[in-house]
Amino acid sequence: MIGWYEANLVLIEATFLNFLLALSIQVPLRLGVFSFAGVGSYGLGAYTAAILTLRYDVPAFVAIGAAVLLAAVVGYLFSLLVARLNGLYLAMATIAFVLIIAVLATNGGELTGGANGLYGALSDLTTGGVVAVCVVVAVLLALTERGPLRRRIEAVREDPELSLSMGIGVVPMRQMAFAVSGALGACAGAMNALLRTTVSPEEINFHLIVLALTMVIIGGSRSWIGAFIGSVIFTWLPSVLASAGRWQDVVYGVIIILAAIFMPTGLLGLVQTLYQKLRGRRSAAVTAEAPADDTAEERALLQALGGESRGGVQ
Amino acid sequence: MLEILINAVTLGSLYLLFALGMSVAWGTIGILNFAHGSTFMFSAMVAYFVVQTVALPMWAMVLLGAAVGTVLSVLTQALVFNLILRRNPDLLKAEMQIVVGGIGTASVLLAIAQHYTKSVPFGFSASTFKVATYQLGPVHISNVQLVILVAALGLAGLAAWWLKSARAGLALRAIGVNPEVASLMGVDRSRMALGTMAAAGALAGIAGVLLTYYLGSIAAETGDSFLISAFAAIILGGIGSVAGVVTGSMILALAETLVVTQLSGTWASAVAFGLIFVVLLFLPRGIFGRKEVRRT
Repeated sequence: MIGWYEANLVLIEATFLNFLLALSIQVPLRLGVFSFAGVGSYGLGAYTAAILTLRYDVPAFVAIGAAVLLAAVVGYLFSLLVARLNGLYLAMATIAFVLIIAVLATNGGELTGGANGLYGALSDLTTGGVVAVCVVVAVLLALTERGPLRRRIEAVREDPELSLSMGIGVVPMRQMAFAVSGALGACAGAMNALLRTTVSPEEINFHLIVLALTMVIIGGSRSWIGAFIGSVIFTWLPSVLASAGRWQDVVYGVIIILAAIFMPTGLLGLVQTLYQKLRGRRSAAVTAEAPADDTAEERALLQALGGESRGGVQ
Repeated sequence: MLEILINAVTLGSLYLLFALGMSVAWGTIGILNFAHGSTFMFSAMVAYFVVQTVALPMWAMVLLGAAVGTVLSVLTQALVFNLILRRNPDLLKAEMQIVVGGIGTASVLLAIAQHYTKSVPFGFSASTFKVATYQLGPVHISNVQLVILVAALGLAGLAAWWLKSARAGLALRAIGVNPEVASLMGVDRSRMALGTMAAAGALAGIAGVLLTYYLGSIAAETGDSFLISAFAAIILGGIGSVAGVVTGSMILALAETLVVTQLSGTWASAVAFGLIFVVLLFLPRGIFGRKEVRRT
């Protein structure tokens, strides 16, 4: 067990860092906002932490904290800038943001180390610290997935106009999502830079956006558990597939396609649907539950909307 | 200066050929095909392997590229997007699944291409076609550039006319406005979708072969960078509008060319994407984009 842990330490750490990166895409997505700005914040955070560590030799928590704060502020300001955009137009603007960050890093001269990036950012960050941060983040996000806050988030996603008319502050919630997304992305980037002691502009590219999106969609886009499932799968899949030899990339692509076709609500949604079907069958004799062909999502929404809407329909 | 302009227009025409089908498919049947870049590269690669055994002229290579692109695109539609839509009929909710399905298809095609080309750039030196340069007044222009210009503007004009005037074009635009009502009016959505994807794939194949002739050689990874550029050009012009794709492609190519020649290569993408950013801030639906009518 200890041997396995040590041999796979890099992958274990990568799982938690990918988890935070995936969350930075998932948080805005839960509000119906297609923003990839979290990947740009990943770069921003990585460079901030590396520069602070290299130049001022600050402890890890200061470097990461400063990176998180900076990215949250940048994320908030960015949300003011793109306030009029939505849908895939917004997605394009955020992709532009990510690529501009990468170009700025390439051309940053001595500060960012140019195309070679920065080396030797030695720090006192441990794997335990990474896991602790992830646990705190997961607990905080789990709190947003219950009670009135969860209902508000789902209402903003499903129908922003209606939410606005019901008195939900749609615009502040979206701005908040950008700030949280920036903080999460920067946290992942900063910890990655300090654990690997290096950062380079090549890390912040279109593939990182694609990876983050794939993790969230395949894992499940509605809950932090989905992001965790996605990060575990996509961190470990390449090494598992290494046994497939030279066709491993083809198998990887086929798995993504099959997941997109057969798991429209992600792996988490699939598990929830199966669980509810099993439970539904057991309780079918007692109460006539919702029709079985309802998707898990619809059922969740029905639940979220509460008793009054069900009562109103009947 | 004129040379720079000619080069920019050539690059813009290649972006146009590539992005045209993608934009029409996205604006009408609502499918944003992330495998478009790989389809483009794969068509050029198949043409390369054929030309290694048979020395083909340029027109045959272009037709071959178009054919391969069509087949790949139709297969992607039938085997991936159609299956996703059948399980998830709500297009808005299926959008992300379609993007991810396209990403998966793209990585399959890329992996196959990397395996067969061993990640080494490939070109059409075995083709019977020879590059020649003409002197037109004060400018030099090569025959490849002429072919690209004529093909891009001709096909874009054809697409614009067909969408505007043909009965089937009207049907396709109707799907773009409201798919349900269009079906009620007797439009066969799945057949129109297949046809649109076939045309988009053919355009991607043509663009792939012509780009390889223009640059001399391309690599398996070229498709990815083209995909981002095309995405930018489409958004810049406004989704689904042919005039928008033409404008977006030309502006993007001009901006990139100017930065590369006047400033430095490493800044090119920053300026191009900065430009898109600024345009979107003032025109949130692109230059020719129509106001979205659907709720949420």
